[in-house]
Amino acid sequence: MEQNEVILQMVDICKAFDGNQALDHVNFELGAREIHGLLGGNGAGKTTLMNVLYGLYKQDSGDILLKGKKLRIASPRDAIRNGIGMVHQHFLQINNWSVVQNVVLGSSVQNKWTMNLAPEVAKLQKLCDRFAIDIDLQVEVGELPMGTRQKVEILKALYRGVDILILDEPTTNLTPQEVDALFVSLKVMVDEGLSIVFITHKLREVLSVCDRITLLRNGKNVTCMPRSEANEETLVRGMVGEDLNVKDSVIFSKEIREGTKIDEVVTPVLEVKGLRHVTEQGIERLKDVTFSIHPGEIFGIAGVAGNGQLELAETLVGVQSKAGGTIKYNGRELNMVTAELLQQGLTYIPEDRLGDGYLPKVNVAQNLILGAQHKQPYSKNGFIDWRKVFEASWEMIKEYNIKTSGPKDTAANLSGGNIQRVMIARAFSHVGDSLMLAHCPTRGLDIPSMDFVYKKLLARKMQGYATLLISEDLDELLLLCDRIGVMYRGELVGILHRSQFDKYEIGRMMSGVKS
Amino acid sequence: MDQILHEVAFFLKQMMLTMVPFILAAQGTMLAGRTGVFNVATEGIMLTTASVGFIIAFQSNSILLGMVAAMLVGGLFGLVMAYMTTSLKLNQFVIGLAFFFLGTGISTLIPKLIFGVSLVQPVIPTLQNLPIPLLSKIPFLGDIFFNQNILVYVSVLVSLLLYYFLYRTSFGLEMRSVGENPKMADSLGINVFRQRYVAIIIGCMLIGLAGVYLPMVYTGTFTEQITKGRGWLASALCFFGGWRPLPILYGSLFFAGIEVLAYRVQIGTSAIPYQFLIMLPYVATIVVMVLTFKRSTTPKFLGSNYDREKRTL
Ligand SMILES: Nc1ncnc2c1ncn2[C@@H]1O[C@H](COP(=O)(O)OP(=O)(O)OP(=O)(O)O)[C@@H](O)[C@H]1O
Ligand SMILES: [Mg+2]
Repeated sequence: MEQNEVILQMVDICKAFDGNQALDHVNFELGAREIHGLLGGNGAGKTTLMNVLYGLYKQDSGDILLKGKKLRIASPRDAIRNGIGMVHQHFLQINNWSVVQNVVLGSSVQNKWTMNLAPEVAKLQKLCDRFAIDIDLQVEVGELPMGTRQKVEILKALYRGVDILILDEPTTNLTPQEVDALFVSLKVMVDEGLSIVFITHKLREVLSVCDRITLLRNGKNVTCMPRSEANEETLVRGMVGEDLNVKDSVIFSKEIREGTKIDEVVTPVLEVKGLRHVTEQGIERLKDVTFSIHPGEIFGIAGVAGNGQLELAETLVGVQSKAGGTIKYNGRELNMVTAELLQQGLTYIPEDRLGDGYLPKVNVAQNLILGAQHKQPYSKNGFIDWRKVFEASWEMIKEYNIKTSGPKDTAANLSGGNIQRVMIARAFSHVGDSLMLAHCPTRGLDIPSMDFVYKKLLARKMQGYATLLISEDLDELLLLCDRIGVMYRGELVGILHRSQFDKYEIGRMMSGVKS
Repeated sequence: MDQILHEVAFFLKQMMLTMVPFILAAQGTMLAGRTGVFNVATEGIMLTTASVGFIIAFQSNSILLGMVAAMLVGGLFGLVMAYMTTSLKLNQFVIGLAFFFLGTGISTLIPKLIFGVSLVQPVIPTLQNLPIPLLSKIPFLGDIFFNQNILVYVSVLVSLLLYYFLYRTSFGLEMRSVGENPKMADSLGINVFRQRYVAIIIGCMLIGLAGVYLPMVYTGTFTEQITKGRGWLASALCFFGGWRPLPILYGSLFFAGIEVLAYRVQIGTSAIPYQFLIMLPYVATIVVMVLTFKRSTTPKFLGSNYDREKRTL
């Protein structure tokens, strides 16, 4: 990229939360028509920096200059007025409102006194067409899958016609195809004069769209480099320092692993036959799903989000009821009237960490032991032994590298990735020898944490335990699984053994082509 | 036949008259609730405004002045409450309960200070009926619906206006968003604090009007505990109506019906103990709540203060 004029500068920004220095003299610069990648591990301060720019946080010191002029941003309102828009890491949406209402809220609509939103709908439709976003605008947001909700969030910013667009991990909930579509849209926007700040943990994304990359670590600048100088290794090194031993890592390993040989005589840990699920509206979301998982196996479910993965997970867990089929655990059939599999010790990492797996208002320790509170060693004569809980929490915080001031920290204070680390720590600390069901376990994690999770999963496998891994990240599945079942419209269209793995073949199956 | 018809007409007319304080108090509580502020001081505010409004009306010989005073006092309560919950971020329930006790105390203190302890109660003339021309001449229905005091019309009008405002204007959309997700509202440039201040103050003014209605229509004087729990029932009504103006209007009618019924039965017979009858609205609340609970909606952030720099997720 040729050196463009600088339109935004953040100079020496500092921000602390009760003694925790989240930003320490951070500098950031954005050029006109630039896509600027903001990288850093979980809790590095990316979201905090952008929240300062958007007026959600007030910096303790430091200046923001827009086109060379010093700017005081006291609230998001000021930011919006100055043409700054932000897509937040955790959706800010009202579930029981329609997409249109969510999008137009706060902007001045044409028919203020009748709320006839037809003009806005037309305008939105045009936006959707231009950026190839496919959303039914009248549906309640809460009904939509995560990927679509992400797009609603992007739409919200685009609708306001911004000059500077901040995207805080916009791709965490998108499928690869959607990511590609988003990138095309970003290029279009940049050509039209926008500048974009792009936060992500996925190096490939950074290397494919960003013009420049700023690296943060523990609230401090590490470097800022043009893309031409960046490669995966320099970025990882910059992000984590020497924390990640590339040689040991699963992600960067060149070694080829064989799939586990399945001994047909051994009883599978989990055997699902002809599983069906029908929604309250009568829509069939799972059709005749059959598979089994053997000891020492990681069984993967691939598929574009919204093809029944969530229903599969929740039916197994017992949150949703099955309409037919059988589920056997260690050879014994479960009738699934209650959450039987959970009672048998299943460990579940839900996809929607905030909705289904986390209590933001209580402290970190309580979140870490949730679900195991009645078990040893936390429970003593029916009471919770808090000293034990705090001891165990400290250990988990250290082992899983959770960035928090301690077990007593309010859980909501953690950064997105650190919330995910809490979920991971909870799951792996209490799983024992039972089945684990992990649904997108590495969503929002930085690379070392991801690597850590992979190591943990492989270690389980080595010990002979079974895991069901549902993921939208095909690379992750290819890296870890012994077998992969591909889901399409509620059906398992094929199950491939490790020796048959082929990225393109699986990609085709994900779009409905049977093998 | 005629006798029954007459009974029914009388019952309905009483019901219309009785629903007013329920409507005004509940809509006032609802409005603040829609921005996420749960006002549990309604009962106390009603008591104080009933007391002050009555005294002003008595001293000035003007019903209108009494109403204005009641609304102003209500608004003042609202302002202080908004300041404490929204600006100082103190716990809404603690502040609300404190205001309830404060209001209850003030309501009996002020008359004592002004009138001293006297044997003859000061009285004001009760609110006159205001027949609406033509409409009130409709046979049977006219007298029931269109020959009422002015606040009956006002309360229905307020409900309809609130409905229109909240659900049919962009300003209403903004106000509701603050109770559903204040962070989102803030991130879209909506002034959460201002919305809350406005909703609380206007809400408390309505509650003030509800309070002063009692001496002005029922008794002509202020007596201790004149509200008889209507302020608490207003909170119940909000849940009952899912914090929506129109269902609250219907709910108020229902509560009023029960109150009138209880009163009629009490006069007609002594077989049923009085205590049981005044319990009825509460029993009805519980029954209806159980029946409608699944469909009931509550603003997501009802009861929680907003702090921009705090993460809530
Ligand atoms: N409102 C807050 N109150 C207290 N601590 C906070 C708050 N917001 C952020 N922090 C802390 O500041 C640090 C940086 O958090 P931030 O959310 O900016 O990280 P991040 O780089 O976005 O990480 P992630 O990749 O996990 O989203 C974390 O340690 C976090 O706990
Ligand atoms: Mg973040």
